[in-house]
Amino acid sequence: MNPESVLPALLGLAWLLPLASFAIIVLLGRRLGKEGVLASYVATSAILSGFVLSAIAMLVWLGSAPAPEEHHEDESHASSTVDAPLVVRAQDAGEEHAAPVDAEHDDHAAEHGEEDHHAGHHAEPPRSYSGDWYLLGEFGDLRISIGYYVDALTVTMFCMVTFIATCIHFYAVGYMHDELHDVDDHEVTLEDGGHLHRRGRFHRFFQYLSLFCFSMLGIVIAGNIAMVFVFWELVGVCSYFLIGFYFERHSASCAANKAFIVNRVGDFGMIIGLMALWGSLGTFSFGDWTDSEGNQQAGIFSQVRPEENEYQLRTPDGMVRAAASEEVAQIVAETGDLEASETAIAEQIPEWRDGPEHYGYALLVIAGLGIFCGCVGKSAQFPLHVWLPDAMEGPTPVSALVHSATMVAAGVYLVGRFFPVFTPEVLLAIAYIGAITLFIAATIAIVATDIKRVLAYSTVSQLGYMMLALGIGGWVAGMFHLITHAFFKSLLFMGSGSVIHACHTNEMTKMGGLRHKMPWTAYTMLVGCLAIIGAGIPFVIGFSGYYSKDAIIEQALSFTNENPAHRILFLAAAGGAAITAFYMFRLWFMTFAGPPRDERVYEHAHESPKVMYLPLVVLSVFAIGVGWQLPGLPSLAGNTGLLEQARPAGTLANVEGGAWLPELTIPDEHLSHVKEIKIPATLIAFSTALGGVFFAAVFYGWRLLDPEDARRQFFPVHRFLLHKWWFDELYEIIFIRPAHVVARLAAGVDKNAFDRLIDGTATFVRGVSDQVDRSIDRPVVDGLANKLAQWTYSLGLGLRVAQTGSIRQYVMFIVVGTAALFLLVSFFWNPTWAGN
Amino acid sequence: MSPLFLLSFVIFAPAVGALLLAFFPKEKGDAIKIFTLLVTLVTFLATLYMALPADGDAESGKFSFAEENVAEIQNVVSLPWIDTTAFRMDYLLGVDGVSFPLVLLTTFISLLSMGASWNIEKHVKAYCILFLLLETGILGVFLSLDLFLFYVFWEVMLLPMYFLIGIWGGPRREYAAIKFFLYTLVGGVMMLIAVLMLYFASDIRELTPDQLAAAQVELPEQETDSPVHTFNILALQQLGQHTGQFSHELLAGKSLQWWAFLLLFLGFVIKVPSVPVHTWLPDAHVEAPTPISMILAGVLLKLGGYGIIRLCYPICPEAGYQLAWFVCLLGVVSMVYGAFAALAQKDFKRLVAYSSVSHMGYVVLGMGVWSATAGNLYDADAWKMGMNGAMFQMIAHGISSAGMFFMVGIVYDRVHHRNLDEFGGLFGRMPVFSGIAVGIFFAGMGLPGLCGFIGEVFVTLSVWTYSKALAVITASVVILTAAYILWTLQRVYLGPAYKGPHGEALTPITPRELAIAAPLLAMAIVFGVYPMAVFNYMAPAVNRTVDDMAAWAQRTQAGAPAPETANITPPVSLAAMETPSLRDTDQNMQD
Repeated sequence: MNPESVLPALLGLAWLLPLASFAIIVLLGRRLGKEGVLASYVATSAILSGFVLSAIAMLVWLGSAPAPEEHHEDESHASSTVDAPLVVRAQDAGEEHAAPVDAEHDDHAAEHGEEDHHAGHHAEPPRSYSGDWYLLGEFGDLRISIGYYVDALTVTMFCMVTFIATCIHFYAVGYMHDELHDVDDHEVTLEDGGHLHRRGRFHRFFQYLSLFCFSMLGIVIAGNIAMVFVFWELVGVCSYFLIGFYFERHSASCAANKAFIVNRVGDFGMIIGLMALWGSLGTFSFGDWTDSEGNQQAGIFSQVRPEENEYQLRTPDGMVRAAASEEVAQIVAETGDLEASETAIAEQIPEWRDGPEHYGYALLVIAGLGIFCGCVGKSAQFPLHVWLPDAMEGPTPVSALVHSATMVAAGVYLVGRFFPVFTPEVLLAIAYIGAITLFIAATIAIVATDIKRVLAYSTVSQLGYMMLALGIGGWVAGMFHLITHAFFKSLLFMGSGSVIHACHTNEMTKMGGLRHKMPWTAYTMLVGCLAIIGAGIPFVIGFSGYYSKDAIIEQALSFTNENPAHRILFLAAAGGAAITAFYMFRLWFMTFAGPPRDERVYEHAHESPKVMYLPLVVLSVFAIGVGWQLPGLPSLAGNTGLLEQARPAGTLANVEGGAWLPELTIPDEHLSHVKEIKIPATLIAFSTALGGVFFAAVFYGWRLLDPEDARRQFFPVHRFLLHKWWFDELYEIIFIRPAHVVARLAAGVDKNAFDRLIDGTATFVRGVSDQVDRSIDRPVVDGLANKLAQWTYSLGLGLRVAQTGSIRQYVMFIVVGTAALFLLVSFFWNPTWAGN
Repeated sequence: MSPLFLLSFVIFAPAVGALLLAFFPKEKGDAIKIFTLLVTLVTFLATLYMALPADGDAESGKFSFAEENVAEIQNVVSLPWIDTTAFRMDYLLGVDGVSFPLVLLTTFISLLSMGASWNIEKHVKAYCILFLLLETGILGVFLSLDLFLFYVFWEVMLLPMYFLIGIWGGPRREYAAIKFFLYTLVGGVMMLIAVLMLYFASDIRELTPDQLAAAQVELPEQETDSPVHTFNILALQQLGQHTGQFSHELLAGKSLQWWAFLLLFLGFVIKVPSVPVHTWLPDAHVEAPTPISMILAGVLLKLGGYGIIRLCYPICPEAGYQLAWFVCLLGVVSMVYGAFAALAQKDFKRLVAYSSVSHMGYVVLGMGVWSATAGNLYDADAWKMGMNGAMFQMIAHGISSAGMFFMVGIVYDRVHHRNLDEFGGLFGRMPVFSGIAVGIFFAGMGLPGLCGFIGEVFVTLSVWTYSKALAVITASVVILTAAYILWTLQRVYLGPAYKGPHGEALTPITPRELAIAAPLLAMAIVFGVYPMAVFNYMAPAVNRTVDDMAAWAQRTQAGAPAPETANITPPVSLAAMETPSLRDTDQNMQD
């Protein structure tokens, strides 16, 4: 079995099945069974088959792993530092690890140096398979295609997405059951005061869900950044449809618009990044590819991290050349011959690149920041985070799938995928954006009372964590948290959906004590809460979040040790952990613990049907165990884990600053797992989380303190948080209104300037013509003609006198006339006239 | 079928149909419509036949994908038409990848908009006759290779359009029709001046035998001392690129070709239309009946873009090089301005009209991004992408804008108003229609998987190499486009209930309407998913045009002495003129 052809085929099929399901449901719609009930079968079986195919692909991937090379690290280090055979090229200059934690580590590092001395030439990029399915367009050497790039990350993401999507499809069958018959939408009040009564739209929900799965998997399998962008937009539009599923509600259609337009703002940056890449590298392909003439062409990754530079980041030739276009033009002008200039330029490139001006480095930074802009939009990072909480207008399964587990994580995924291209400066920006986001969102989540909005802000906050992790060099940590978060956050959302289904309200102020009514939901959600706060017995075992969050905090600590100036990043991560624990348990206590706050709601509450809570159980199993190292299976994270197999080449080393920020050090991720960092990080994470839970219990569990008091005490802060830091209002003032003003201005200019001008010209021309008509045409031209006529007339009149009727007089005229003629003729006579 | 027959048939079948219609009794409205529909169908089928691969049969009239033909003008028809001592015009027709997709688009949209004309009840016979004459005019412009013939068809097309708006239009139809007529006439006059300037400056005796052959032109039998002028577009292209005949100074320190380019470009850009000469478009669209709006947006606007790529650049490369900034600026300004203006509209149809201004800005921009400069070693790949993107955008916009206007028409037919604030809730009332409409509007918005995306993204990506500032502005338009389209969708289709008058008339889409809307959506999807369906025809010819320009730039600008006359120009074949592919060497060095 050849993974090179089998994997793309399997994953490609898994990718296309939801598209087929979408097509079937679009065409048949309501005709699929009674009121389209079969649509759910079609969609669910498509995504389930997709999961099976992904799982097979995972087995193929694991089964086809190359035999471990003979460069095992010394076993004694395996637990603390590097032991991944696939990433033996750890540090190429161990001695340079400027600030290792202590002397013991110095030894490790020195040994690494030695190790790498002979391991260096085994350095190779992670195993990946890439290729094209078909072309979208080809212009000279530029080509844009639909293709695939399969590595361990792709396979893992496929399994995660299809698995969670399958769970949510099952769940949605129960949740959307009401849509199978006519629906009274109580949130829509018509003009006559009644509520909207409409036909159910069960099939349409699954139609969008299928399209979404297709688009999401498209992002994951994409072989080039342009294809990512294509599916990026498609998930955006699916999100638009799903948020606007209850499009009769004004809030829903506004939220859908907001989501799409805010995402487009991010895409605007992404397009700039794409242009910077395209205009200088001439390819969008991640991996290398073979052109039609059989030449090997370098993809983005190998242009940015070429093998001859030991996979370390350097400004690619194309960018240097593009930035130095004036110098290039000068060379062309001097040599006058393209071939010769080409050689001259090639010689100059290293000088341009490494010279004080760092030609092309700015382009590389723009490309990185641009792509990251897209991720900021999609992953709802500050300052574009405003759309995600509003997106909760969609049905809850959508929130669970699209707006927590998969689509919003796509931004993080793309940062991870594009990691090799980011310069240290860009990484720092990513880290700061992540830290700001995680803090802002966490603070807002403290005061939100809508159960879904708490989860939404929690999602934003967790995505901030992932961004932070990636920005400070924790590639595996970020990706790992992406996976674990997907499980526990979709679990939490589905749990909240189950609660909403039972209570018919989103307000936690009306809930309480529900664990007696719906134990399955309550305890699976408790698992979700414990997972998200990273609960565990330190150094022994924990929920999945324990591993991933600790990995992030470890890396943050390691980063802070290297760069004390950026200590705030670590503080944000640690503080955020405490706030997370607080608001998550606030949510759980308010919903499930204590006496009911609203008896009527409590009376009506009931456990959801099996089809809804079974997925919860399945997901909570994963939320607990997805981070575990099970015998016989590779773990997800860790230095030998699955994700490590996808680590971009050359990123496992201390990166000593970029061209613009030379002091910055991005520490090697594996160094964050040494005891000296792991122990304090774990303890900090544990104690902060415990503190958060404790305070939540004080306020909401044991109700020792009244949150109302705190609210009064911190009234301004509370109001500030309740208004979500006034972001919506701010954007309304600085973006939306000005845009409308400019729009009206443009329309006004059209009407009042251009059209006035045109109409004025027309009026003017007509005026001139009128004037001509009146002053020249009529008096002069017409006048002349009339005068002529008049003269003729009067002549006639005058001549009438001669018309007497008398024969004698006429004869007289004839005689006189003839005589006069003869006289004239004889006067002018020319003999030749006679023909002589 | 010989090219002579086939091409003439495509152009004149509608005209003959119009002639036959004259014998139909006036009161047989349905028969007249059916006959007209059949004529447009036959014309469409004829162009579809032309799209089949020729497989080496040069006389079949089909499209040849053979390597030596695919980028060139093919199926050339050349007959003497007017031959006096002062003027020589030929009946010179031909297709290539640039014109052929537009021809196909024309017949396709004509067929569909004739289908959309079914509820025209006023003066049906006159309507149909004018409709068919209009189609002949448009097809004639796309197919003629003689500049004079081109001009004649250009003007032929004008009059039917004037009457179609002026008689069958809305309340302000006279105003709109006259505005349209005058604008286009001004453009036509500018064009005529440029045409005559070029004609009297041309002298084909300077061309080498190879160039003469490429231009499908022959020298007169006996040698003459006086210059041999030509209207032949291909010959003018050869003259413009390989001789200095149009380079002498004419006025204000600018060369003849600078002025010719400017006049031609302004003439075409009025048609496109670009800001600030676009104000005829919203009025014309608002007043025109639905099918005429479809033709106007779907096809007529493309004549401008076609003229730029066919005449402006190849005939006046130097001027194009100097004026690239102007072309690009006009494109970007149109995109931004049109999008903002669309955002402020209250009239549904006016909004769609402004979206056309914005979308056609991409076309002008993509054509202008002259990337073949010394700074990147005359690598024209980015420009190729821009030009191809622009051409694709014309096709895509032809589909999506015709669709959008039809969507507006469907609603207008039912409720007789277009006030955006008085819609809402159509999704609940007309689900199938709304689904199609959302698809078509998304195609206009440039959603991937639909046709609008390809053109927009290719143009946008190509701009960076030309100017980073313009590129950033270009990229920002995606936000505005999303804003006005989504806001429109929200106001019209979403919401709980319809807010305007005649709500009871909101009946589901009829089969006839579906038969028109569905193909448009289907084509939008096909072109969006598999753009090579268009590029296979289009790209070689467009790339050749760009390669010619790049080769010209390299010859004249790269420090090498610029060829003054044909005598020192080596007789290069087009294939040999291709710019050496520099990125290849780049890559190889890396490997």
